[in-house]
Amino acid sequence: MKKFTRRQTLKTFAGAAAAATVPPSLLSAAKSFAQDSPWKPESGASIRMLRWKRFVASEGDATQAMLDAFSEATGVPIRLDSEGFEDLRPKAAVAASIGSGPDIIWTIHADPHLYPDAMLDMTDVADYLGGKYGGWYPMAEFYSMRDGKWISLPYTFSGNFINYRVAACKEAGFDQFPDNTDDFLTLMQELKKAGNPGGFALGNASGDGNSWAHWVAWSHGGKMIDENDNLVLNSPETVAALEYVSKLGPTFAPGVASWLDGHNNKAFLQGSCSVTNNGISIYAAAQREGLDEVANDMDHAYWPIGPAGEPTELHVQFPMTVYNHTQYPNACKALLAWLMEAQQYNAFLEASVGYLSHPLKAYDDNPVWTEDPKRAVFKDTTLRTRPFSYSGSLGYAAASVFADFIVVNMVAEAALGAKTPEEAAADAHKRAERYYKI
Amino acid sequence: MASNTHASGPKVGLMTRLMNNRNLMGLLFMIPAGSILLVFLTYPLGLGVWLGMTDAKVGRPGEFIGLENFVWLMDDSVFLLSVFNTFLYTVVASIIKFGLGLWLAIVLNNNIPFKAFIRAIVLLPFIVPTVLSALAFWWLYDSQDSVISWVLIEMGFIDETIDFLGDPNNARASVIAANIWRGIPFVAITLLAGLQTIPKSLYEAATIDGATEWQRFTKITLPLLTPIIAVVMTFSVLFTFTDFQLIWVMTRGGPINATHLMATLSYQRGIVGGSLGEGAAIAVAMVPFLLAAILFSYFGLQNRKWQRGGQDD
Amino acid sequence: MTEAASKTKKNAKTDSSGDDAGMDYLQSIPRRVVVVYIPLIAFLFILLFPFYFMGTVSLKSNEELHAYRGLEAFWIHDPTLEHIKHLLFETEYPRWLWNTMLVTVSSTFLSVFCAVCAAYAIERLRFKGSKYVGMSIFMAYLVPPSILFIPLAVMVFQLGVFDTYWALILTYPTILIPFCTWLLMGYFRSIPYELEECALVDGANRFQILTKIVLPLAVPGLISAGIFAFTLSWNEFIYALTFISSAENKTVPVAMITELITFDQYNWGGLMAGALIGSLPVAILYSFFVEHYVSSMTGAVKE
Repeated sequence: MKKFTRRQTLKTFAGAAAAATVPPSLLSAAKSFAQDSPWKPESGASIRMLRWKRFVASEGDATQAMLDAFSEATGVPIRLDSEGFEDLRPKAAVAASIGSGPDIIWTIHADPHLYPDAMLDMTDVADYLGGKYGGWYPMAEFYSMRDGKWISLPYTFSGNFINYRVAACKEAGFDQFPDNTDDFLTLMQELKKAGNPGGFALGNASGDGNSWAHWVAWSHGGKMIDENDNLVLNSPETVAALEYVSKLGPTFAPGVASWLDGHNNKAFLQGSCSVTNNGISIYAAAQREGLDEVANDMDHAYWPIGPAGEPTELHVQFPMTVYNHTQYPNACKALLAWLMEAQQYNAFLEASVGYLSHPLKAYDDNPVWTEDPKRAVFKDTTLRTRPFSYSGSLGYAAASVFADFIVVNMVAEAALGAKTPEEAAADAHKRAERYYKI
Repeated sequence: MASNTHASGPKVGLMTRLMNNRNLMGLLFMIPAGSILLVFLTYPLGLGVWLGMTDAKVGRPGEFIGLENFVWLMDDSVFLLSVFNTFLYTVVASIIKFGLGLWLAIVLNNNIPFKAFIRAIVLLPFIVPTVLSALAFWWLYDSQDSVISWVLIEMGFIDETIDFLGDPNNARASVIAANIWRGIPFVAITLLAGLQTIPKSLYEAATIDGATEWQRFTKITLPLLTPIIAVVMTFSVLFTFTDFQLIWVMTRGGPINATHLMATLSYQRGIVGGSLGEGAAIAVAMVPFLLAAILFSYFGLQNRKWQRGGQDD
Repeated sequence: MTEAASKTKKNAKTDSSGDDAGMDYLQSIPRRVVVVYIPLIAFLFILLFPFYFMGTVSLKSNEELHAYRGLEAFWIHDPTLEHIKHLLFETEYPRWLWNTMLVTVSSTFLSVFCAVCAAYAIERLRFKGSKYVGMSIFMAYLVPPSILFIPLAVMVFQLGVFDTYWALILTYPTILIPFCTWLLMGYFRSIPYELEECALVDGANRFQILTKIVLPLAVPGLISAGIFAFTLSWNEFIYALTFISSAENKTVPVAMITELITFDQYNWGGLMAGALIGSLPVAILYSFFVEHYVSSMTGAVKE
């Protein structure tokens, strides 16, 4: 099968790199880039880079290979450290506040907007890449720009879509996964009756919980703030969304109130949950661990569309940030531009087997999206996502509100029946008021 | 000078005098501990209090806003819930830990085979890193596949699997249980050491005088153990009140904030959410309660003069 | 003392462990079973069952972990050493164990040393203001590590010890010293003051009194303090997470979480294996000290 061949190639690619010989093709590409690039690394430069712990080994290896190639071609040593997903952000923030630390941090969400003054201006790199590769998706730009400048590079986005068991849904009367919220509710109810319930995280799950809760609120037209950053959470649309949620809640598998990000993975793989939302990690785990029953029977789908009439999805950005305190800004810019050039970035996408998606339109053509049809929906991650601050601006207030799980808690309360939709919306609005006063 | 029984040359006399000067020696002895604590604790402590009175964000120093953080917190339902949760968690867990810990200490104080081995094994819940035992409990508390649920179902006590961490009240009970599990060894081993300092002859004399086991316990064991109990329970309460790891790993404060303690809320708001000032304010809000706990036990300790035969000054 | 009592006391002395073996004859066997053995077994079961569980998880293959239902959790159909092998040979686990051991032992020694000096000063020297100093040490617990770590991060960085063992060795004592001091104050308080007065009269100086008289008697206290300092520091998470960033310098709790969990995928087998391997040796070490505890008791208490 084609995908195995490609995977094999990558393995030898990465394996060769691990054996401390950089593949000639990569090395020569690096060398020519170093010659032609507008950003010449400073003499004596070295780069310290920090990233979140890679989801999938092949991506980690591929990225490392690229860094090694760059180092060898330009003579700039690069040191890469890895940190857990949820522990990276405080570290990045500390680096910003004390003005020293790694030169480049591959961070999460829209954190650069929390400390924009610590970020190196990346406009020149962004313009170069956008011009060369078909332009940036609008959301990629939105996430990275502040006051007309690029404060970070929207290196990649991670998709969070519906994961479902095909046979169970067919049994419940749906050959295709529903594309609207009414059918979705019907499906969930049928699944529950048949003993194959779905489940969506209601705990403080920063990935899955936020994606699903924002989707459901936005799908009915509800939102936290409007274009002028006025707080509009408590609205008829939000209440309508919560009423929908209160009907969905009883269809969930038991225990969802305690689900954090890993629980739905575990439940889905064990067969006790037939519909959930997740990145591609469940599918990849099923394949990797030989759980063929699950891998063959599952698929991915876009989120259903609600009364809002258009996709209302929330996916996660992983931007590259260069800190102002770096002594080698040109070296950093050169590296990041290098990483997003076609040969490297294509390899990166393939090595990520669908976990991560691209912000530049030219990469729509990458074969990773077509060689396995089950990955197809992930191609449109950056296209379909909304910013978590929809429809207002990114900044402290939006980030704080997001981190405090206000929307997640509101949806959970309605789903569990702990509060009526009106109460839940009103209480959440009150909580958010604190952040939007400033 | 009272202690100059060997009055040699003046130099030795001075040294001896210095060495016996309480105040100077006291100061000298305090230097190691004092310097570490002053530099690495008092200064950051001051900084923490200061932060609580600013609107500092991560990555941006804030401005002084006085008590505004605290005023708002008083009105915040999630904060008030976390205060309630912290109290509930601390009080229930501490009482049960004390009871079970004391019981275990008494049991371990007996002559049992493999004594040393058993006493060491009992420490295991305390030794294993909290993060990891919390993960094990996470699995044990799974709402659909918990071993505990299955055993109870097999034994016929319940019909459905228990939703340990999904239902707010169950979640509270579950985290309290995990905390108790982790904390019993601490209490038990310290109390055991205390039990061992009680002279056996006291028990023997009492038995000969006709005391029952209960009387021996209440009239000899408990009173003599009181200083140690005060110490260990104060620390137990302090550690439980400021507990972070266990809750964070198991529930992140959920479901719907039912298990949020002040420490976890302060982390969520301050670090994850980026509002350093507010996070610091929540942490500072813990201080009055901790202070009360410390004062209570410190003065409790002070009143045990009679146990030292009246030697206190 | 009556003759019977002194005879039982002699029996107690000859008993190698110094326990109240002397009074055991007063308890009938069934009673002993009920009062001692049954509770003991119940406690051991509750305290140790999760470890049995951790053990089964670490020995099951990933397929089995995902496929189990109900009571199958108790048994292992197909034991595998792949998790343990992966942990020991394909990750840097041995290095992490070493890091943790180094940091823990150093900060324990440092803390116990400081605590002994401080406890002696407060409890025995009774210098001017000792009461207030004593109180202020307890105040150390009013600010939990979960908020101190940001200002401390700044300081650690300014001192140039970021990402080194010193960052932890210097900051852990802030958590450990107050507790150890308090514990040792209690033990010192239980040592009769007459001993010191006699020594003073005999011409010993304070330092000699501390090392030759007080410390030997307070050995159980030192051991308790050492045990808890060791455990707290072995277990510590948030400072280690913040101050150490390179993978090879990490301590076991931090490394397990950051290296074996990738956001929503948990390497359960590896995690549990790591937890067990990281705790059992320490427990075995403790068992030696517990022995010492007991045997040093006979000389410790005066009638």
